[in-house]
Amino acid sequence: MALLEVKNLTKDFGGLRANDQINLKVEEGEIVGLIGPNGAGKTTLFNCIAGFYPPSAGEVWFKGENITALPANLICQRGIARTFQLVRVFKDMTVLDNVMVAAFNRTNKASSAQKKALEVLDFCGLVTKKNMLAGGLTIADKKRLEFAKALATAPSLLMLDEAMAGLNQTETAEAVELIKKVRASGITIFLVEHVMEVVMPISHRVVVLNYGRKIAEDIPEKIIQNEEVIKAYLGEKYHAARRRY
Amino acid sequence: MFSSEIILQTIISGLLMGCIYALVAVGLCLIWGLMEIVNFAHGEMLMLGMFTAFWMFTLYHIDPLLSLPLCLLLLFLIGVATYFIIIKKILKAPFLAQILATFGLGIFLRYLAQFLWTPDFRMIKNPLLSGRIGLGGIFIGIPELTASAITVLSFVFLYWFINKTEIGTALLATSEDREAAALMGINSDRMFALGWGIGAACLGVAGALMSNFYYIFPEVGFPFALIAYVAVALGGFGSIPGSFIAGIIIGLVESLAGLFIAPAFKYSFVFVIYLLVVFIRPQGLWGRY
Amino acid sequence: MKKNTYQWFLLAAGVAVLMVYPLVLKLPFPRHLMIMIFLYATLGLAWNMIGGYAGQISLGHAVYFGTGAYTSTLLLMKLGVSPWAGMLVGGLLSIGLAFLIGYPCFKLAGHYFAIATIAIGEIAQHWMLNWDWAGAAVGLTLPILPESLINLQFHTTKLPYYYIALAIFALTILVTYAIDRSKLGYYFKAIKGDLEAARSLGINVARYKFYALALSAFFTSICGSFYAQYVLFIDPDSVFPLMLSIIPCLIATLGGVGTVWGPIIGAYILIPISEFTRIHFGGGGKGTDLIIYGFLIMIISIYQPFGVIGLTKRFRKKEQP
Repeated sequence: MALLEVKNLTKDFGGLRANDQINLKVEEGEIVGLIGPNGAGKTTLFNCIAGFYPPSAGEVWFKGENITALPANLICQRGIARTFQLVRVFKDMTVLDNVMVAAFNRTNKASSAQKKALEVLDFCGLVTKKNMLAGGLTIADKKRLEFAKALATAPSLLMLDEAMAGLNQTETAEAVELIKKVRASGITIFLVEHVMEVVMPISHRVVVLNYGRKIAEDIPEKIIQNEEVIKAYLGEKYHAARRRY
Repeated sequence: MFSSEIILQTIISGLLMGCIYALVAVGLCLIWGLMEIVNFAHGEMLMLGMFTAFWMFTLYHIDPLLSLPLCLLLLFLIGVATYFIIIKKILKAPFLAQILATFGLGIFLRYLAQFLWTPDFRMIKNPLLSGRIGLGGIFIGIPELTASAITVLSFVFLYWFINKTEIGTALLATSEDREAAALMGINSDRMFALGWGIGAACLGVAGALMSNFYYIFPEVGFPFALIAYVAVALGGFGSIPGSFIAGIIIGLVESLAGLFIAPAFKYSFVFVIYLLVVFIRPQGLWGRY
Repeated sequence: MKKNTYQWFLLAAGVAVLMVYPLVLKLPFPRHLMIMIFLYATLGLAWNMIGGYAGQISLGHAVYFGTGAYTSTLLLMKLGVSPWAGMLVGGLLSIGLAFLIGYPCFKLAGHYFAIATIAIGEIAQHWMLNWDWAGAAVGLTLPILPESLINLQFHTTKLPYYYIALAIFALTILVTYAIDRSKLGYYFKAIKGDLEAARSLGINVARYKFYALALSAFFTSICGSFYAQYVLFIDPDSVFPLMLSIIPCLIATLGGVGTVWGPIIGAYILIPISEFTRIHFGGGGKGTDLIIYGFLIMIISIYQPFGVIGLTKRFRKKEQP
């Protein structure tokens, strides 16, 4: 049984069909990448899975349970954590407090939450900045914090929404290392990305969306040679094919 | 139970008063739609409009009808001044600060007025617009009728201004997307100030008109402001025609509620409408979102 | 460690001063002043729970104060129930009211919520003005009972009132402190910081907003009951007015929202000013101190929305690199 199963998911916004009959599975322990041109419906899919709005049709199953109609907070408690494209840190709280909020997902005691938060901060390389106000962090650190918060909820599935946007080369490499560490610790990862250098090397499988529909799903090596995908990306064809995976 | 004349009378006075509510609501809606700041001093600015007319009459014997342009201008300036002195500084402030800033202004103005002019109820006696006209058993006050006519005219003018002039379009653009408008060369600072000016000017007009037939006292503005909030919510966030129509509807409902339910509870009824609107249809009747 | 012992010492000193204060200053006015400070500080702390921590700006909190005042008074007058029990019942009733008001209103964002609370406050005051059984506009004059702790009435001296008010104040501080350090506090702040982010971290936003409002309503209500027993007369204008909703908000904002000490500092600054202006500007009474309040609210929100505590944090930041 797959960890996450999306069955015939459709999402309409008024007259616009943002997701059209999407089917996909994420197995435990995998890293699955979700790519597609702008406007393909990637974030919409994320939001439907994470409970931000209900899909217009279709179902989402997680660990054998139908979570389609659940609100976002219950989905988090079930074990799916997500980050936001535009980071949503609590800017008037310290880095440590930010992560503690997340850690309280699994405990009621402040001391346990603090312990967990410090562990996660250490894991993410933010522990030296624990008393800084989140609002004063650099973009890269804010993204790291966003990541830490999601981790601290102790998820089984971590959904990352364009976590690499706006990072430079070094920061991107660090982020990739962090993702690998997280997966090694047993958490399944489902990520949306535009940065091909990130998605291709680390994903076991890649799902491609275009105009709200899934147009391809395969291992990275095959995806970059896929006709449909190349057509969708057009300009990316040479860029992706130049790398050797 | 009630004669058809009484009901008709109630409906008409409700509609007439509704026009005043409508103009007050439009002013609020303009500011709210422009920069997502609620003017919690709206009622007090209305009060200032009324007192301006009152003092012009009492001290200089200028009839409210004639001092209307002055009230308009004065409130326009007050609106612009409020923007530059207070609002501009809280555009990026935490939410609590935004609410409290205009709230504080309202309290400040209200009790300053009470201090300067005492809490006594004032009336303008025998203005140019007085008396009633009778139409088959129904009496319509001339001040109220004229007030409604002028408010409708004001609204039409405002609508034309916003939708058909260049400045109006600039205003609309700024309210829709500040940054994009800036890229087009629109100075959002000036637009905001203009918005506040016009919003307050509506109160100047409404105040001058009301001074013909309504009691004038420092706390007078508050119920009007509350009704304006309901009207803006009912009409729909950002919709100026929506707020206008909603204001009239509320005037009607309030009047009828006063007749059929109980005069003491007619305000409560209006607030219940507010609560119903925001729960059932948060985008209002004509809202943007 | 040194900083902590210093703070404990200050706290102990403060408590000692407050305990001894009325024994040193035996005149009614200084005691009354301090009782007012305790009362308003408690109201500020209570408002702070929903407004400062959870970020839901309620401008109609007077409805809970009035509920407390009227519940304990009516229970006393009609059924002879002790004010202490009445206080508790009033508190529970206020929690119920918080539920009724909260659950629908919490779906409203920001401004709409604030306006809804104002509207509810106005409706409540209006109804009380017209409710004859509860005294309507005339109000209720509490029966003069023999002086005793059970009756919560004292006629010869303010001393017991002082210590009861101090106890209520202290209790509210402790509860606020407990909230600040606990899951509740963190969740409240998260809700204030970013609602959607909070939701995505597993927080049931509606439920926690309710907890904040319920706590806030309870302590506000207790103050209302105490007030009734202290002044021995209540009417809609004294326990349900808009100003009563604003002052706790102002106190919390002045001192620093979302902190334990903020409302306390705010009360210690504001109430003495208020009492002194009331004396020096004579019987005009309602007018002048409110002009100052309005002005203060404006100044604080424009220049220092994080209050006095925000100012001190700025100084501390300058010391550390």
